[in-house]
Amino acid sequence: MRRSTSLTSSLSRRRFLARAGGIGMTGLLGASAWEAMAAALVELPFVNGQRELATSFPQKGAMLLQRTRPPLLETPFEVFDRGVFTPNDRFYVRWHLANIPTSIDPAAFRLNIRGHVQQSVSLTLDELVREFEPVEMAAVNQCSGNSRGFFSPRVAGGQWANGAMGNALWKGVRLKDVLDRAGVKPGALQVRLGGLDTGILPQTPNFMKSLAIDHARDGEVMIAYAMNGEPLPLLNGFPLRLVVPGWYATYWVKMLDNIEVLDQPDDNFWTAKAYLIPDTPFANVVPGQKGVKMVPINRMVPRSFFTNVQDGAVLKVGHATTVRGIAFGGDNGVAKVMFSSEAGDRWQEARLGPDHGKYSFRQWEVPLRLPSKGPHKLRIRATNTAGSTQPDHANWNGAGFMRNVIESVSVQAV
Amino acid sequence: MTKSSGMILDGECRPEGRGTGTVPRNTTSRNVALVRAVPMLVGLALAAGLARSQAADSQKWAKVTVDLPVSRTAFPPGNGADIANGQCLICHSAGMVLRQPPLTEAEWTAEINKMRTAFGAPVPADQIAALAKYLQSINGGQQQHD
Repeated sequence: MRRSTSLTSSLSRRRFLARAGGIGMTGLLGASAWEAMAAALVELPFVNGQRELATSFPQKGAMLLQRTRPPLLETPFEVFDRGVFTPNDRFYVRWHLANIPTSIDPAAFRLNIRGHVQQSVSLTLDELVREFEPVEMAAVNQCSGNSRGFFSPRVAGGQWANGAMGNALWKGVRLKDVLDRAGVKPGALQVRLGGLDTGILPQTPNFMKSLAIDHARDGEVMIAYAMNGEPLPLLNGFPLRLVVPGWYATYWVKMLDNIEVLDQPDDNFWTAKAYLIPDTPFANVVPGQKGVKMVPINRMVPRSFFTNVQDGAVLKVGHATTVRGIAFGGDNGVAKVMFSSEAGDRWQEARLGPDHGKYSFRQWEVPLRLPSKGPHKLRIRATNTAGSTQPDHANWNGAGFMRNVIESVSVQAV
Repeated sequence: MTKSSGMILDGECRPEGRGTGTVPRNTTSRNVALVRAVPMLVGLALAAGLARSQAADSQKWAKVTVDLPVSRTAFPPGNGADIANGQCLICHSAGMVLRQPPLTEAEWTAEINKMRTAFGAPVPADQIAALAKYLQSINGGQQQHD
């Protein structure tokens, strides 16, 4: 059966089908039907959006299960209403390759820096922590394909709602400082970053991403060893993860152990052929459009979300309430967040919460009193300090990347 | 970017080491406590203006060992299910396939070819069409609910 695809941000029509649910899935899910029946199920607002709320992943609380192996776990959206920092045990998880080490011995772990450098360097975790200046930064980590499930027409890939993102206070060292320890030679072009995970098949390319040398040395890109004041959960990249503030999470290599300075352009699959976007505004094309120049995905674009009101909510007419949510500016800070309760006909500026830095989530809130009974459409729109604003119309591309359309929720005043 | 205050907690790691079964109650409640504690700590640190601390960085590293849940989900019966169970499950569990939106046979063929050429999936060329037809036949949202 088909349901219409909704463009709302929230987990509307949510249904917790505890225990009694799952009837009718038996045939499809076979051996796991019993487990599904025991689990809470959540309905994401698009076709085939039923997801189990999984609690069996290590160091993780309840997460929306997109895939068990390798894990794809989505943050339930209500978590974002609790503050601008996403708790580690609710932070989304996305792995490409299934050979993920399940045991990490910090004493044996080494971070290797090699390639087009004066001397190769191999650092222990203690050396990394003690010998380099620690830095901290709040930054949003967002999957390139966050919100892919809302694409219309639909596209293949991880069918996320809006919870493939999170904001954390990262602590670590500058990639620049670590590169300087090895001594980058003249002529370096890129820095290629790899982690401990590998594919099941020997012919599967190892996951590696490259940054231009100037980007890698900008002093902002960091190697994080702590996340919200604790070591990273293994599934978020313990013990080390690259933090590339303002850029999509595909660059934030997990279990980072290998840094290679290149004097030739990186031609590995993950940099050269995967995670490409149309080189157009908002990576937008018409479905079926051919001959578009493709470039590696890069800087994030601004987004904003409602966190305390869901699609289909019922509000009292004339009753004062506060609507709130989160926003982020992408590759720049949030300049302003505009709210409309009149389907975009008139806009008012939302009040912004504390500023935790240009790459962080920022809370917004606005007082609301709906004047008349009936349906109302609430919309929210962020503009960043570089002047980029969320568009009125959703972008589309075949990979389902970079969605940042203005979010709206339909509410009823009674 | 700010210089660190050195406020990071002693980072003793507490691997949960859960298996695929039920979660013990005490683990769940500890997770709930962490959910509440972490934003509060972060908030306090930020409120303190990231004041520098003279204390040396005291991150402690403990070995982490976890168990990842194992998927026991098989592809639903049908012509081609044996190909899907034999090929797709080498590298990933069935769940994400079953959670795709309805895709055309051509779109499934493109996915299969991506798995073959980019990731080295050993799907024989003469089984591509049958597998695409099968995947289209079990399309998400058609059989699963209601």
